[in-house]
Amino acid sequence: MTTKLDLYKMHKAEYAAPTKPALVRTKPALYLTIAGQGAPGGSRFTAGVAALYGAAFTIKMTRKVAGKQDYAVCKLEGLWFFGGEPDATPKEEWQWKLMMRTPHFIAQEDLRTAVDTLLKRGKSPGIAEVKLETIDEGVCVQMLHVGPYESESATVALMRSFAESNGLKLSGPHHEIYLSDPRRVPPERLKTILRQPAIKRNS
Amino acid sequence: MNSRAKQTTLLFYKECLLRVLVHIQEHLDEPLALEELGRLAFFSPHHFHHVFTGMLGESLGSHVRRLRLERAAWRLKLTRTPVVQIAFEAGYDSHEAFSRAFRKGFAMSPVQFRRRHGAMARIQIPSGVHYQERKRLRSFRPTEIEDENMNVAIKNLKPARVAFMRHNGPYQDVGKTWEQFMMCLGKDGLLGGSPQFIGICHDDPAVTPREKVRYDACITVNQQFRAHGDIGVQLVAGGDYAVLTHFGPYEKLGGSYARLLGQWLPRSGRRLRATPCLEIYFNSPENTEPEDLITDIHAPLETR
Repeated sequence: MTTKLDLYKMHKAEYAAPTKPALVRTKPALYLTIAGQGAPGGSRFTAGVAALYGAAFTIKMTRKVAGKQDYAVCKLEGLWFFGGEPDATPKEEWQWKLMMRTPHFIAQEDLRTAVDTLLKRGKSPGIAEVKLETIDEGVCVQMLHVGPYESESATVALMRSFAESNGLKLSGPHHEIYLSDPRRVPPERLKTILRQPAIKRNS
Repeated sequence: MNSRAKQTTLLFYKECLLRVLVHIQEHLDEPLALEELGRLAFFSPHHFHHVFTGMLGESLGSHVRRLRLERAAWRLKLTRTPVVQIAFEAGYDSHEAFSRAFRKGFAMSPVQFRRRHGAMARIQIPSGVHYQERKRLRSFRPTEIEDENMNVAIKNLKPARVAFMRHNGPYQDVGKTWEQFMMCLGKDGLLGGSPQFIGICHDDPAVTPREKVRYDACITVNQQFRAHGDIGVQLVAGGDYAVLTHFGPYEKLGGSYARLLGQWLPRSGRRLRATPCLEIYFNSPENTEPEDLITDIHAPLETR
């Protein structure tokens, strides 16, 4: 049996979770994604998570049955677009793109087959909106946030001043990599990697 | 529920276990059948061992080994039987193995113990249950709830229709059955729509011979699903369940079971139903570190 491919272990440096802000260099990476709008944990958000997991597992298992290279399904990640300061925007207006990192050998054809299979079962609304796309974030500031999602702004402030003291400024969407499951882990123990692309300040 | 009703339940559980403890002391040299012990305690074999371990603070196996050592200590004191013979009666096949175990319990060798005046033939244990040389065991102290913050919720589950694959064999290997099962369901698009992942433990891996442990890997399905090949369909019993979330590796589930069934339950005013316990999984060992695994343990309760 060939060994199972684990993308997080393979790209360990990109998933560093330092307790102080640090710079990480990311390479373009392939993701299954689904975009939407609404409060985290709300019905559209939850449906998006379900669609993404449904697609990810169906692709993986279909390939596995066919004897192709096995891999571990990655954790949930999300890009957030607040249109201003997050605290000043109602949660219902938050735009998000939920993502799951996927090995480079997954093709659009794999996704189409999985979507068709799931649609035939007729219980995966939103599955047709799942996309397979490459995302390139380049140089990012990254830090581990421990605690409720609501208290992230303090961590982001640290990341921002770190960027500034390095001649950089944060750009691009706020990226969260969910290490804990909020359905059972108490808010004060939730672990989330925060990542945000950074560019030279004077550019 | 009033505190008197809770007291009554605790008393009920204590009496059930006391019958078992007395039986064990009277049959220390016989192989103990779990079914028999469960019957004496009025517990189904699914639950018996967890209740026992939780309430007594030691597993059935360690309990019996400890009592045999205490009895050996009595025999060293009261008889002139050679140590080798006593070791054999205590279930050890060599003098060395017996001495090692004896030292662990009494902090001295069997020969030293025999010579020492006033040495107690007891190995400390919070339950206060010791080998009774002369009189019958009357009572014991059930283990206190060690974690004050133990968070147990009572949930009423609807019966769930599930597809399942039966696993026969060591509990550590259920992962392989899950992989096979997920593959069969996944290629047919049955992992879409957030199904639940449930484990049904028909046997206690701590007491059932490894190769005989039966476990069902289950995934919720709708009415249209039909059994085929190695995949069956069953209805997971609904009703009240006591639910404790276990954080961490699956190898440590036993400790959480014991705390739920042996520490929380006797003080809850509720009684167990004779259907198996369920495990509901929130994440997968495939992309989660063992210490971050999350499992909801469900213990079935009788309806009030």
